[in-house]
Amino acid sequence: MPKNKVPWFAVRQDLSGRRQSLLALLSFALPIGLWCLVSYVPSIWHPDVRLHISAEREGSSTVYTPGNHLGKDHFQRFVQTIREQNLEIQRYWRGEQEVTEPPRMVRRSNQRVLRQIGRFAVANGWLERDERQDDEKLFEIWRGLAEGELRGREQRLTEENLEILRANWAWLEEMETFSAAALPAIPLQQLLPQGRPANPVFLPNPHDVVLSWWDLFSEEPTGEGKTLRERLGYSLRIVFSGFLLSCLIGLPLGVLCGTYNLFSRLFEPFVDFFRYMPAPVFSTLLVAIFGAHDAPKIALIFVGTFFQMVLVIAKTTRLLDRSLLEAAQTLGAKNRHLVLKVIVPGVMPNVYNDLRILLGWAWTWLVIAELIGVKAGLTEFIETQGRWRNFDLVFPVIITIGLIGFATDQLLAFLRRFLFPWEPKGYRLSLNWLTEGHRKE
Amino acid sequence: MPITLPSYREQAPEVKERFDRLKQRPVKMEVRGLYKVFGSTDGPVTALQGIDFTLHRREFLSVIGPSGCGKSTLIRILAGLEIPTSGEVSVDGQVVRGPGADCGMVFQSYTLFPWLTVKQNVMFGLKIAGNSSNKAEAEAREWVSLVGLERFENSYPNQLSGGMKQRAAIARALANRPKVLLMDEPFGALDAQTRANMQSYLLEIWRNVDVSIVFITHDLDEAIYLADRILVLKANPGEVEELIEVPVPRPRATSQFLEPPFLATRKRLEALIHPPEKSLKQRLKISRMTEVGDDVE
Ligand SMILES: Nc1ncnc2c1ncn2[C@@H]1O[C@H](COP(=O)(O)OP(=O)(O)OP(=O)(O)O)[C@@H](O)[C@H]1O
Ligand SMILES: [Mg+2]
Repeated sequence: MPKNKVPWFAVRQDLSGRRQSLLALLSFALPIGLWCLVSYVPSIWHPDVRLHISAEREGSSTVYTPGNHLGKDHFQRFVQTIREQNLEIQRYWRGEQEVTEPPRMVRRSNQRVLRQIGRFAVANGWLERDERQDDEKLFEIWRGLAEGELRGREQRLTEENLEILRANWAWLEEMETFSAAALPAIPLQQLLPQGRPANPVFLPNPHDVVLSWWDLFSEEPTGEGKTLRERLGYSLRIVFSGFLLSCLIGLPLGVLCGTYNLFSRLFEPFVDFFRYMPAPVFSTLLVAIFGAHDAPKIALIFVGTFFQMVLVIAKTTRLLDRSLLEAAQTLGAKNRHLVLKVIVPGVMPNVYNDLRILLGWAWTWLVIAELIGVKAGLTEFIETQGRWRNFDLVFPVIITIGLIGFATDQLLAFLRRFLFPWEPKGYRLSLNWLTEGHRKE
Repeated sequence: MPITLPSYREQAPEVKERFDRLKQRPVKMEVRGLYKVFGSTDGPVTALQGIDFTLHRREFLSVIGPSGCGKSTLIRILAGLEIPTSGEVSVDGQVVRGPGADCGMVFQSYTLFPWLTVKQNVMFGLKIAGNSSNKAEAEAREWVSLVGLERFENSYPNQLSGGMKQRAAIARALANRPKVLLMDEPFGALDAQTRANMQSYLLEIWRNVDVSIVFITHDLDEAIYLADRILVLKANPGEVEELIEVPVPRPRATSQFLEPPFLATRKRLEALIHPPEKSLKQRLKISRMTEVGDDVE
């Protein structure tokens, strides 16, 4: 069968199902690809340096630890400072200058030099996370590095640092095994700060986000603090409680307003006025009325969606073709039957769409709802972690919220076909992006 | 050879006898002194003025008239969907005060309930009238097959063609056993072929059902082919021009279209509906949009 393909640019014509699905996938692949590109190609952007090894600057109160991000320029100056400090130290070594500090102090700072490679060793898998300050093991790692037995896979020492390390080792190796008291009483050179180009903390790498997503959501309850799954459950409960409550009152009221002029004139003007007061302005009031826990949160989502809902549903109801009502009347339908057998089923498909949009609103209000009274749920987590600049933890949660919203909406779009089999094709608010294209008439 | 047509008033004996019998039958619907005035921005518009007529049992009445003469307004008043400014409509002696099951209606636009299948649509009125589901379903089946839609009884309206939709709508209206069936240009949106089929269908159905029909159309042939009597309205304001008794004998067939009684009636209707041909000078001036060569004419 010869195929007449629709050209890629055809005004208001559908492309083939395969192409549509391909494009739908691409619409996700493009931003993700861009993110990967920015994250993994060091020549693109990467304005920061993420420290593997840090050092101490004399007379500076700001302390950097491995994992911190520094601007590139700042990092260069940092390295230069330490180099200059090391030159000073070499003067002690050459005997050009007397050590004035008491040996106890010198030994303590030398111990800190020894520990400079703590995180670095952990990253390379030579140490467990809690052994970072285990000097005896660190000492053995220094030996390994100095004698060339350890090289490092994840992170490596620069040549310059290796030289510094070997020079230090010449002083240290006399000890045989580590003992704090046997540390040299002459200052050792500090390793220079080292790191790899990185993007600012607010843009973590994709794989870090995926890994922390996995960590966060596979976390088992421990009793102290809430796991993310518990938080997610909580947030879902708040959203859906608020939304269902809205539906419970808003749907019937909306349909009544759309049906009877009496209800329309009695309720809609006030509702119309009320909806212009954004829900968050009621937060303190709601806390005062409902206490600090779940109730005001649910109430806020209710306030945020209810008033919109009444108006939207009333409007949708009024849009129902009058002639259907007239036809029903000539078939003997009166008040109750008209409402229950014509208006309700007639507006259902459109109301369903309205509710999908309003559910999106409910998620928006959730973010504010969870911050009023006692903070809780996913938003509290985002807020705290964001404040600590743990964006690799914030991202997974944000994305999860997006995914849940998207999945719910796609599910509802998918169910539509079964709920309203009479609806003509192509009469949809939003498509079921990933599956729709393949359906052929 | 010029053909001389008989007058449309001349009735063959069997036709005359038929009309005598028809007028003996009880009156189903009586319309007295109907006025309808719409308020509009440029003053009141009189849509209907002094309409009177009676509809007998099992009578088929067509209403024709130029566009905008108030046909739809009239039928909506008959159905109780619109309140007349003055005058009244009664069905079986009962004044119509609002829409109800007595007057079934088939609209020009498709008004099947899109969320119900054809069968469920037909069951709608039956169930509202309090029939049990089983009884309603059995009756609906009969009606659906009467209009020839058995194969589509479980289809939704949007899966049907225009003609099928109107047949389903007729079944839905008739299933309710209305005293009067009101039809507002029900075949207006159909193509000529389907329309012709639908007309035959309607006559066939009507022969088997005890119902009086008011049928609005602007198609003269359709009006003559279907009706016992034709109510001709004129526009501005909508008034009864004439009530014509169609001299074409029943049962009707499309072959009658060319017979003298039919042609005579048609000629009369033409004269009533279409004003005398305007002189050439008065014709609308249409600027020539294309170069039309002489050889085309
Ligand atoms: N709701 C209304 N308000 C104001 N004027 C109306 C209204 N409905 C009808 N009219 C007027 O009444 C007149 C008759 O309208 P109607 O629809 O009954 O005509 P019609 O004979 O059915 O025309 P058509 O053959 O085009 O369907 C028109 O002049 C129209 O403008
Ligand atoms: Mg009309």
